[in-house]
Amino acid sequence: MRILVVDDDTLNRFLLLHLLEQQGYVDCYEAENGFEALSLASRVKPDLILLDTVMPLMDGFELAPKLKQMAGDIYLPVIFISSVNDDASLARCLEVGGDDFVTKPFDKTLLAAKIRAHARTRLLSKKATEQNKQLSFYRNAIEREHKIVEHIFANALTVEPALRKFIDFELKPAGDFNGDMFLTHASPTGGLYFLIGDFTGHGLASAIGALPVSKAFQTMSNKGLSLMEMAETINTTLLQLLPDEMFFAAILVEINHSGRQIDVWNGGMPNLLLQNSEGKISKRFISQHMALGILEPDEFEADVERFEAQYGDRIIGFSDGVVELENTLGKMLTDEGIERWLEAEPKCDVANLLSKLDDYAGGVERKDDVTLVVYTCQALTEVDRFSHASQLPIKLVLELDHHLIKSSEPIIELVTMLTSQLSLYGVHSQVYTVLNELYNNAVDHGLLGLNSELKRTDEGFFEYFSLRQQKLASLDKGKITVSIQYQPKERQLNIEVSDSGQGFDPDMFANNLDLEKSYGRGLPLIRELCCSMKHSNQGSTVNVVFKI
Amino acid sequence: MSLDREFSADGKELTVFVEEKFDFSKVQDFQLAYSQGVEAIDCIVINLQKTEYMDSSALGMLLNMHRSLGEQVTTFKIIKCRPQVLKILLIARFDKKFEIS
Repeated sequence: MRILVVDDDTLNRFLLLHLLEQQGYVDCYEAENGFEALSLASRVKPDLILLDTVMPLMDGFELAPKLKQMAGDIYLPVIFISSVNDDASLARCLEVGGDDFVTKPFDKTLLAAKIRAHARTRLLSKKATEQNKQLSFYRNAIEREHKIVEHIFANALTVEPALRKFIDFELKPAGDFNGDMFLTHASPTGGLYFLIGDFTGHGLASAIGALPVSKAFQTMSNKGLSLMEMAETINTTLLQLLPDEMFFAAILVEINHSGRQIDVWNGGMPNLLLQNSEGKISKRFISQHMALGILEPDEFEADVERFEAQYGDRIIGFSDGVVELENTLGKMLTDEGIERWLEAEPKCDVANLLSKLDDYAGGVERKDDVTLVVYTCQALTEVDRFSHASQLPIKLVLELDHHLIKSSEPIIELVTMLTSQLSLYGVHSQVYTVLNELYNNAVDHGLLGLNSELKRTDEGFFEYFSLRQQKLASLDKGKITVSIQYQPKERQLNIEVSDSGQGFDPDMFANNLDLEKSYGRGLPLIRELCCSMKHSNQGSTVNVVFKI
Repeated sequence: MSLDREFSADGKELTVFVEEKFDFSKVQDFQLAYSQGVEAIDCIVINLQKTEYMDSSALGMLLNMHRSLGEQVTTFKIIKCRPQVLKILLIARFDKKFEIS
């Protein structure tokens, strides 16, 4: 505690300093006039000032406000020592900024008590100022960090501009960060996916789950995976990541290349609406599941609802911030509310709906994030599905001896390798069908000499497969070579499968897809899936060209 | 491993859930799934929502099922096909014998 005594009277100063020393205040300074006091105060930064009212050059009333100003935001107690004790002079002590006064001759006990009291306040003020400083430091730091995170989010959650023309959407966060999210991505099979989601709460904490979700969504969309698999994967990811009280309500939608076959998985979101071209809400995809990030994988249900819509139908999705929006009377908009709007104005777009929402709220501040999405059913032929495919012409050759033919199922692995390495996800099912058909022909007919005619009857069908197993088990020689050449420019795969067998007559297989026969469908299927097929070496080698 | 299946509440509809790969390795499981305890059904639904890979023997198996239940079951449905699988079913003209969606 540093105390400055300002008095022009030497004896007074001595008395005061003596008193202070008795009270244990040894860090004391003295000044005999105002100017000296100011320069000393700026140098030693006193914690308390004892100030005489009447001094030559500059009196205490003039000096007090100057000392106060110098102290800035921190409380600097100024106690006047006054030789006059009329009420007007004492009041003036306080009016000019003094905090207290004692009159001469001063009472030692009273003065000491006043010094202690003001010292306490000074200490509190110092603490508060220090805390304020820290607080504004933290606030600045957080603001800066929010800016960085916002930047990352803005980049991570952007929607491909090419898809914007198919989907009309808007997200309006209630705070800096959005607990709502909207993602859309082209499917490698020509259609598109979208996701409308809502993390519990809002602000940074709720937005944090958005990054892994968007990453998973993008990766799985690129691969053309089913909504089931997407829902399962996102659920498992969030279950690991999020604290127990946090979860993610979401609608996942897949629209196939026709633009009107709609798959929906709705977990914990408001109804997804289908509005027909006459404006009627003709279907509601209600939430059939719990939100993501709650159920263990073995309890999780990923059943997807499928609907065949008409061109011109509109799929309308929104977060609960829309239906729970309150007006000035505290009344929520509700599902019925937004459906009424839509039916009253069937062509109402997202911008239009948003302005209706603003009107409804009537200036009341929104409590939750708001998301609106409208997709109008249309052919999606323009969605580019080849853009991610590799541009490298690669050739892959697989040689299988009889050990491997017996023990492995090479085709599924080969297809996975091919489609993931070359990013040809959209065609994995078809490439599998083609390769598997060719490979099985090489095994069944080339190496094992089985005859498909056996499959003519139901019993024969099963007999065929058990005979195949027996013969395969006793296979002791033979080789199959599968070679695949990828031509990115031509967008095709040249596939050759050859076996070391005796050859077989491919013409003995039916040339049409006779629905009454349960066999002979393999080669006609390949003919349909590929643009050319050629057998050589008495049927031991087959070449096909598959257009991607 | 046997396939998942589910009867409707009135016991008249059976849904069989096929796995990711539907090929000849499923011959027995699939046959069991549509032939055991099915005396009361008149509708069978094959759910392909998980199925990514299918070959011609799967087509043969579906036709076998159709033939073996044809006298008893009036409605055969194949539902929730992935786009690629749907294409194969359509190439094979399965829409003539099954309700496909």
